[in-house]
Amino acid sequence: MRRLVYETSEAMKIALSAIWANKARGVLTTLGIVIGIVAVVATMTAANGLENSFKESISAVGSDVVYVSRMPWIIMDDFFKYRNRQPLTLKDAKKLETRLASARAINPTTSTRRDIRYRSAKMEGVRAVGTTDKHIMVTTALPEYGRFLNSIDVQYKRNVCVIGKEIQEKLFKDINPLNKKIRIGRYNYRVVGVMEKQGSAGFFNGPNFDRQVFVPITSFMKNYGSRNRDFDIAVKAPSQEAMVDFEYAVIGEMRNIRKLRPTEDDNFSVNQMTTLMNAYDNVMGNMVLIGLLITSVSLFIGGIGVMNIMFVSVTERTREIGIRKAIGAKKRAILIQFLFEASVVCLIGGTLGVLASIGVTELINAFFLPASLSPGIVVVALVVSAATGIIAGFIPAVKAARLNPIEALRYE
Amino acid sequence: MKALEIQNITKTYQMASVEVHALRGVSLEIKDNEYIAIMGPSGSGKSTMMNVIGCLDTPTSGNYLLEGEDVSHMGDDQLAEIRNRKIGFVFQTFNLIPRSNVLHNVELPLIYGGMSASKRRELAEAAIERVGLSDRADHKPNELSGGQRQRVAIARALVNNPSIILADEPTGNLDSATGEEIMQILNELHNAGNTIILVTHENEIADHAHRIVRLRDGMIESDEVTK
Repeated sequence: MRRLVYETSEAMKIALSAIWANKARGVLTTLGIVIGIVAVVATMTAANGLENSFKESISAVGSDVVYVSRMPWIIMDDFFKYRNRQPLTLKDAKKLETRLASARAINPTTSTRRDIRYRSAKMEGVRAVGTTDKHIMVTTALPEYGRFLNSIDVQYKRNVCVIGKEIQEKLFKDINPLNKKIRIGRYNYRVVGVMEKQGSAGFFNGPNFDRQVFVPITSFMKNYGSRNRDFDIAVKAPSQEAMVDFEYAVIGEMRNIRKLRPTEDDNFSVNQMTTLMNAYDNVMGNMVLIGLLITSVSLFIGGIGVMNIMFVSVTERTREIGIRKAIGAKKRAILIQFLFEASVVCLIGGTLGVLASIGVTELINAFFLPASLSPGIVVVALVVSAATGIIAGFIPAVKAARLNPIEALRYE
Repeated sequence: MKALEIQNITKTYQMASVEVHALRGVSLEIKDNEYIAIMGPSGSGKSTMMNVIGCLDTPTSGNYLLEGEDVSHMGDDQLAEIRNRKIGFVFQTFNLIPRSNVLHNVELPLIYGGMSASKRRELAEAAIERVGLSDRADHKPNELSGGQRQRVAIARALVNNPSIILADEPTGNLDSATGEEIMQILNELHNAGNTIILVTHENEIADHAHRIVRLRDGMIESDEVTK
């Protein structure tokens, strides 16, 4: 055991001095690993950034909220199974409210697409959402300034609205939008608040929460009609932990409200944040895997470079290996020596790669996504680079360890 | 006490399809503190003999007892251990590690022997002092003359207090004056109680030994005590 420690510390000294003795070669070999590690780390960071940005954009959904809707948010199977379902009504929402006493809040919403105008500025096909003052209880989004709709707005069907960040930026630019009149479709609304930025799930073809305008559900129905309107009902669970049970309670009550017999399928859908997360994981999980696979190729090539150089190193030092064996180095000692050399080269490459990745992450951050280089990724990168060294160094090291001392000593 | 005993060993190499009989039944006994020269022209089996005695190779048949321990059937790692503990090599070409300084070169057998750093340093410094190179301990081999390099090699050979010191043409790469200095050191080691085996083809060098064994065609031609 003690001997192994001395052999290992000797191996480390030899490895460092061998690398130091061939600096140019070391730099070139290391470069291959650096590029490989940067590629892999950048992929992981970008994936991380995509996930962060996606989570950020759906955070408005609220993780402790169940959404009852006519359709599932993500349709994985046959769309025609769902198309004949009856819309959910405001009455359904009311009934659910009386039956589900445990819910912390129940908020029905409905929406339509309208063009909106402020003076000459115009945005087409903006999602106008009819909702109530309880809206801010079921989502995490808050007004950035001004206020959200209140119960008086709802009760008196007032034509007031709260606009999303993107609408404020595009319609008003530098003008303060509060108390300005905008047209939503053919009706005038007074702006009372601006929602904070929520980010866009645009790449996922999901809803853009910054490009919507909230109006009281009552004035919505008065202005845009209430016939055949389909409502989404957001139901906030008593606690995060109770979500699973609560979802079943909601399904049970909805089946009662819709008078379904036990043998009938649900004619409504219950969605929640995890529905979106799972869909994201399904799609992105595979894409990230493919990305990692492709970038690993460059690391693999770097590893081949290391293996190549290790073969050169073993051949060059055949005589030295012979000397070491003659004076009593066992196979293990020689093996450790060359494995060390390969892993030190790769670990240096890995470290430089991680440092370079910090820069790459900053670039991704600045131009594309909120990417971050987590400590986990750094550890993975270093472990992977050391492992690359051990794998790449293994065959050359075994070759060195197996050298016959007599032939090695005679080698010129 | 016998330092080593070789009983009727043979060594056969397979070169392509031809069998080469390098040793054809050699028996030899060497006692503790003997100073013996093994001589012979090239092709006599001299190198093979030295490889077997040095535990770098095993005989095809026959037995080799080193301090009573049968080493003729050992595996590579066991042989490495035996070399580490019982044999000190001095080579014609010095065979020092080029990037390591004198101290480290001399310490190397002790490192592979698993000795602690402080003990190692103590023994290595003592060995370096014995060959008179204390003021050169931190020099690299390429900063030393040939004679100095060979002295480093001798220090390395004796640092682990081996049963035998095996010197293979130790003066072959040195001018005669320097060669004579090296032989003086070997003589001193012999006087201090070490067993020394010289492998050489030079009579002048062999004259330092007290017993000369001559090989020819893989067999012992003569074995005489000269001093």
